[in-house]
Amino acid sequence: MSVKPAFENFRRELDESNDRRERLIKASRDITNLSKKTIFLLHRLMLDEDSAAKQQQCTGSTSNGLDDRALALNASKQGYLRLREVQELYAGLRHELGKELFWRHERQVSPGLQEYIEALSFAHYLEHGTLISYGEVQKSLSDSDGVPYFPLTVSDYLLGLSDLTGELMRYAISGLARKGGRKRAVDVCVFVRNCKADFERYTPYIRELRKKQAVTSSSLEKIEDAVYAIFLRSSEYDIPPDMLDDIVAQSISSLSVHPDNRRDHRVQGSIRTLGFESRDMSGDEDGF
Amino acid sequence: MDTSELDQLNTILDRDSELREKIKDQVNEFDKRARTMVGLLNRIHVTPTSAMPDLLDSLNPVLDDCKELVGSIAAVIPPNQFWRWKDLWSNSLRTAVFAVVLAEFLKTRNLATLSAVSDRLGIKEEWKDRVSLAIEDYLHGIISVVNELSRLAVNSVTLGNFEEPLKISAFVKDIFIGFSMLNLKNDPLRRRFDSLKYDIKKVEEVVYDVSLRKLASLPTMAT
Repeated sequence: MSVKPAFENFRRELDESNDRRERLIKASRDITNLSKKTIFLLHRLMLDEDSAAKQQQCTGSTSNGLDDRALALNASKQGYLRLREVQELYAGLRHELGKELFWRHERQVSPGLQEYIEALSFAHYLEHGTLISYGEVQKSLSDSDGVPYFPLTVSDYLLGLSDLTGELMRYAISGLARKGGRKRAVDVCVFVRNCKADFERYTPYIRELRKKQAVTSSSLEKIEDAVYAIFLRSSEYDIPPDMLDDIVAQSISSLSVHPDNRRDHRVQGSIRTLGFESRDMSGDEDGF
Repeated sequence: MDTSELDQLNTILDRDSELREKIKDQVNEFDKRARTMVGLLNRIHVTPTSAMPDLLDSLNPVLDDCKELVGSIAAVIPPNQFWRWKDLWSNSLRTAVFAVVLAEFLKTRNLATLSAVSDRLGIKEEWKDRVSLAIEDYLHGIISVVNELSRLAVNSVTLGNFEEPLKISAFVKDIFIGFSMLNLKNDPLRRRFDSLKYDIKKVEEVVYDVSLRKLASLPTMAT
């Protein structure tokens, strides 16, 4: 009796599966990378004062809301463009993930997928101010006939969205000193609070979501503190928010144009009273 | 999220957790049967050769139950979702594989093939995307058999059966050669395979003791 031929078969099949697994891990890493870069790009674009100023000149608009809106639309457009690369990667993987193979390798696919959903939902938020729906995410991972490359799990969808709240916290706080930044923070605050409430009911089904809810809570708290500071401090100045924006913007730009001014206590003091201490900027690292 | 979206997600999650419960119920029943077989097979260590066929036959009704339960598991799993739910019954299935492979060895002195084991457990080829015997589970079952046989080598000598260790030794070595052909990744299967050498060593020591005292007729020696 010899077991050799049978084991030769096993070797072939196991190798095949292991190789596929390795390929998917590599692809997932690439996807994570691209998605992370997209998120950074979105943050950068939303902080880009120059392009904001340009846009303001072009449109001749003086309303902050509109200006901020144009900035967001432009950012999300560029974000989507970047994410198309990810979608193409997924299209290329469809034969590795077809039929029962997706479930076999779900664990290898999940991390990249969640990162992608985080980036996509960030771009979506900038465009619409809403949460991207489950159907829309699945659609972004389908071919032109609407046939999905693989089934999107609710768990990946929700876990990806849960990471979005951390990005939004960063987005709100780092943009505070920008024109319209305070309105931005207030909007984000409301949005993240709703997200947290919506996700809560899914925690019994998805174990990891419970851990992420804790992260969301701490992000939310940071945003709430920032918004609190805004309301408190702006109540000390009996001037319209637009004017306040201008004062802040002037202080900031004089800072960046003349580095010597950093030692100017008057300017720094005026920034501090508005609650833009460096603590707010550095305290948000744990979301990563 | 609007309410219809929230409800849609809730429905999907509810459906999945209901399905999980249904599968678990069937798997629990299957697991009981698998354990029953292990219980019966425990007696091989105290059963003389003459009584062995009866003992092995006593597995048959339990195996028939297993077949039925595998059928009901296959009935609740949605198409293409074999790997999604597999972890729920992997352990019980490995136990059942162990029972089938061990019984087959004691009966025919052969290694039951993967397809023979699937067949014995009532796993049908057409259920491939729902219920199937994965290579890993089959191999885990085989390693458990080797673990058990290293004990049987010792106990058969106690029962006065001095030929048994020689048969076991040949079988176990064959399996070891088979496993050596695989490129195992660093997972539990690999670690269990690494432990096989201790079982082989144990069996070899018994063979040594028995042949030293000329208690068993050695197969024709080379040289």
